[in-house]
Amino acid sequence: MAVYKRRYNPYSGSQSPEWSRFFVLTRYAFADLFKSRFFVILLILSFVPILFFAGYIFIANNKTVQLLLQMRSADLFTVETQYFIIIMIVQTQAAFLLNCWVGPVLIAGDLTNGALPLFLSRPFTRADYVLGKLAVLGLLLSAVTWIPCLLLFSLQSGLAKDGWIWAHLWMVVPIVLCSAIWILMLSLISMAVSAWVKLRIVATGVIFISFFIPAGIGEMFNSIMGTYWGRLLNFSYMFRLILAKGFRERSGLLGPSGWNEIPLPAAWGVLIFACLLSLVILNMRLRARESVRG
Amino acid sequence: MELHSEPIRNDWQMMNPTIELKELEVQLGGRPILRGLTGVLKSRAIGLLGPNGAGKSTLINTLLGFHPPFKGSARVLGLDSHTDSKALRSLVGYMPENDAFISKMSGVRFVRYMAEISGLPPNQAMERAHEAFVYVGLGEARYRPVGTYSLGMKQLAKLAQAIAHGPKVLILDEPTNGMDPPARKRLIELICEIREASDICLLLSSHLLRDVEETCDEVLILRNGQIASICNLVEERRANRKFLELETIGAEATFTSTLEGLGCECAVFTNGRIKVVMPDSVEIREVFKVAADKGVQIRRMNHRRDSLEDIFLNAMEQTGAPDGRI
Repeated sequence: MAVYKRRYNPYSGSQSPEWSRFFVLTRYAFADLFKSRFFVILLILSFVPILFFAGYIFIANNKTVQLLLQMRSADLFTVETQYFIIIMIVQTQAAFLLNCWVGPVLIAGDLTNGALPLFLSRPFTRADYVLGKLAVLGLLLSAVTWIPCLLLFSLQSGLAKDGWIWAHLWMVVPIVLCSAIWILMLSLISMAVSAWVKLRIVATGVIFISFFIPAGIGEMFNSIMGTYWGRLLNFSYMFRLILAKGFRERSGLLGPSGWNEIPLPAAWGVLIFACLLSLVILNMRLRARESVRG
Repeated sequence: MELHSEPIRNDWQMMNPTIELKELEVQLGGRPILRGLTGVLKSRAIGLLGPNGAGKSTLINTLLGFHPPFKGSARVLGLDSHTDSKALRSLVGYMPENDAFISKMSGVRFVRYMAEISGLPPNQAMERAHEAFVYVGLGEARYRPVGTYSLGMKQLAKLAQAIAHGPKVLILDEPTNGMDPPARKRLIELICEIREASDICLLLSSHLLRDVEETCDEVLILRNGQIASICNLVEERRANRKFLELETIGAEATFTSTLEGLGCECAVFTNGRIKVVMPDSVEIREVFKVAADKGVQIRRMNHRRDSLEDIFLNAMEQTGAPDGRI
């Protein structure tokens, strides 16, 4: 019907599949995100290290360039496990910064404007809503963590000889798995904080400090009590521990000495607990109507 | 006010009452808000009335499945609000009472977004969003961010998002809040048009009696979380048409007995005042004819109107009815 014909008409056309409707949120969120110059700059900056890593891999596998650069030591350019751990650490930190900006944009706006009843009065559950928003962060953070890391892995595999790929294929698992837990934890924490705080700028700040304040408290606890269990409050540290174990790395490369004093199951437990806690907060806060006790 | 014709309902709607409440109890934060509501509302346009805090919005939220019933059940078109909530929501268009929008989105994009979430494919959603926006009278403002709209425009934008996906049930919570009289009039006209243009069921909550009177066929009056009254306005209007108040001079017993002979019921008061309830078969001109025959002067004649205000005030005054109502 032409829009100028002012008359109400019922809709009797086709419907999109129910399972795919959460992706509407994702699509609109991406469209809105890419309108922000700051976001685009942040996204581009988070890809910059990848170029350096790719350049390094190229040089490491190209004797001519090494000669041109007058690199004499053959060990100076090696692409092994530790190199991919460094890539992962750099890129997960970039993901963290990106998440601090994007996470609150996704949820806080809906809550501030009271849009949740509009979503939830449709055949659309809270799980769909969380899934739709989670997909935004999942895709975005994947694009700066495991996807470029696997591309670099592929680059190295292509340039290296002597069956490097077969000797290092196992690294694909820790690259994907460790990125997945980090992305999931970051996304859920940022969504939970945004749902709790509701104000975007404040939420960004709270997400930022929620990673540093507990870590500081943990270190204080360690100093006072003479223990190392306070590091359980340091999410980044726990992640690096899981990462190092995943890459079968046993040296103290990833942090201060004694990094491996915390058992691996405890590190997993902390990250999973953070995810569950975030889900509980989301369950409490993402409601069509708030009820006041009394 | 114009009388509404009997609504046209499809087979599916004919089989199920629009709203069916069975001992519905809802608690929020451990505090009972709705207390054992029982009632069946069969009309296509239902008004929800009550003073502030009566439980109108809580009932709407319960029907939408936002609040689980503590006890009892609520059904809309035969679908349980708790167990069939997803199926029920696929039929519903909801216009909430409070501000509910995405401030940075343009109006038409916001409505398209909501239509897509309701299940419309992107192209159809875009088309319907434009139609809905033009229909509610915001065509010129559709590309402006919703956050820049006036209060009245936001209400219209909320109505647009509620109708864009073509719902079977339209739930409007205080739709005329914050609107000036012309805008209110326009919105009420729109609601009536939507009602008449399709087989849509309407549930309108308001504390403004006029809004309900102008748009609804049946009214549910709540007070303190209980049903104070369920009233079919169509029947009420029909009954009012046959209820006359006369002020006469010279009326004697023969006048009233002749009217009673025609099938009317008469009550005589002092100063020549007579109340007459006429059966459907009797027309007013027959009353004039009898008066002329008997030499009675009719100085004044009123169709008594038991207005919604009377019904509402009666409901507010009543207490402790034996069927669990107030």
